[in-house]
Amino acid sequence: MQLTRDEEAILAGEKGEGCRKAMELLVALGDIYGAKRLIPIASAHLSGVSYKTIAEGGIEFLEEMARDARVCVPTTLNPAGMDRRRWEEMGIRPRFADRQRHIIDCYERLGVTTDCSCTPYLGTNVPKRGQTLAWAESSALSFANSVIGARTNREGGPGALAAAVVGRTPEYGLHLDENRAPGVIVEVEVEDVDYSLLGQAVGVLVGNRVPYFRGIRPTVDQLKTLAAAMAASGSVALFHVEGVTPEAAGASLAGLEKVTVGRAELEEARERVTTGKDPELVAFGCPHLSVAEIQQLARLLKGRKPRGDAEVWFCTSRHTLAQCPREAAELERFGKLVCDTCMVVTPIEERFKCTATNSGKACSYLATLCSQKVVYRDTPGMVELIS
Amino acid sequence: MILRGRGISKGIGAGEVLLSEAPVSFLGGVSPSDGVLADQPGRSVKGRVFAFPRGKGSTVGSYVMMEMRRAGTLPAAIINASAEPIVATGAVMSGVPMVDRVDLSLLRAGDRCVVDGAAGTVELPDVRSVEVVSCFLRHGEDLLVLKRSDKVGSFQGHWAAVSGFIEDGETPDVTARKEVREELSLEDPELVTAGAAVSVREGATIWTIHPFLFRARDREVQLDWEHTEYRWVLPSQLAEMRTVPGLERVYRSLLS
Repeated sequence: MQLTRDEEAILAGEKGEGCRKAMELLVALGDIYGAKRLIPIASAHLSGVSYKTIAEGGIEFLEEMARDARVCVPTTLNPAGMDRRRWEEMGIRPRFADRQRHIIDCYERLGVTTDCSCTPYLGTNVPKRGQTLAWAESSALSFANSVIGARTNREGGPGALAAAVVGRTPEYGLHLDENRAPGVIVEVEVEDVDYSLLGQAVGVLVGNRVPYFRGIRPTVDQLKTLAAAMAASGSVALFHVEGVTPEAAGASLAGLEKVTVGRAELEEARERVTTGKDPELVAFGCPHLSVAEIQQLARLLKGRKPRGDAEVWFCTSRHTLAQCPREAAELERFGKLVCDTCMVVTPIEERFKCTATNSGKACSYLATLCSQKVVYRDTPGMVELIS
Repeated sequence: MILRGRGISKGIGAGEVLLSEAPVSFLGGVSPSDGVLADQPGRSVKGRVFAFPRGKGSTVGSYVMMEMRRAGTLPAAIINASAEPIVATGAVMSGVPMVDRVDLSLLRAGDRCVVDGAAGTVELPDVRSVEVVSCFLRHGEDLLVLKRSDKVGSFQGHWAAVSGFIEDGETPDVTARKEVREELSLEDPELVTAGAAVSVREGATIWTIHPFLFRARDREVQLDWEHTEYRWVLPSQLAEMRTVPGLERVYRSLLS
């Protein structure tokens, strides 16, 4: 990779050890991916927050970075391993809470905005079309690429932090026009499609190719669900929806393979992800609930009575919660409004064995990261489970 | 002997080589508390130069390497055939020198080894480097192979191409023409192509072989003391013959 004189100086340690390490990481990643240069970024979003995943090793890395490095672009943070206020109610142990707070403190010292959420694009970090980003969190970066038309690769936590500290990222992959073109046409032949199951099915089908959807008209919240599910079941970081997403217009479709998704494929996905029967935890909000989704749940639950003994969580961001306190209070009758975290990154495996979700993304990660049996329901089905 | 690769993570690390034939995930594949490999019980990467084809698995693997640093179980250095982001990230984070684009077939478990992550080099102080030429003569479809006599210094009785050491100050091209002239009494043979050098490990020696392909005008050749016999064979027959190490690979390098 070709570095400018300024970049060489950073690599030589002239801006401190944290910056030097960040630059070394960007150069290593750039070389591996065949990038020719670094390009400036408008914002960053970081994963690697939960104590459950990064543990003491991660803390040591963050402590070292926080010693003398600071982010130089707007940077937001993924969910942590607990609600910072209600962690005791979640059954989190004091030692875990202590270490988790320390991680968030390190990020704060680095200059990162610590509204811990996987949906920064809903308010705290909103990209513009065409901007270059370095985002981790597979669901958020796919939303930023696909729905907004910004440009980011699928960053890992340390790589995204390095980019935030240097303000640059290696130019390869989805930063280049040629890699943003559709790679496969997905024809959806279902009216009123379930976007979690669609995402589960298509992710497995297309792997890391760029799907171009026909036959669907998703809302913003449905796009968020779809992006998250495809990033989890496959590794889709960019997709297009005909007549909906910004880069679908004018995309070249000549010679592309076409796959069809109908009821059978969705049922197959449902069967594949369903591994449990009696949920001990019913968790909404993967990705974090939006204002509209909280309002919808409040409407669906209005006049109903709580039922069953499963624990119920509604996961969202503090930023979102602050915008709909009335509806949130309505949901509190049925379960906990949980912020800063979600069912995937908090250690639910210490308390529960079976979890119900309406999220295609959570279906994948509850099984792999949380050793859970999974019950999948659509949103009305979830409401039936708890009321 | 110094092998040249590509620097991924800076620093210099020295130790004995520990080889893994399979790709490695630090999450699940290496125990952070003692550095022991899950698929090689009793073998720890701690303080070793850990050589494996490439990383794989969860991105959490990068953090596992930080955990190993805390426990003091990190490898002294890492060598990969081709680096991927998870191990590369972990190596930079935890400060383990790392080099990739190294031919792992040139390493042996237990080799003493010094990895320089900034220069991108792997030094094997106990391994000798020998540079030779290997000259194939082609007539029609056939290649000329020669049986080495018992008077030569190495690989007696093995089938080989025309070969010889590159002496100080000689370019491979000059050596190649000289050897063909001396061993076959052929003046000014027609050079068809020269291939990329191929390195082969044999005991404590790495042979770096520079391949050349010449066209023979006829099938009669005159041997000197280095060979006892010659044959014209099809390239596909090389694999079945008792040849010097890597002869078929050397020939293939002429085709690419």
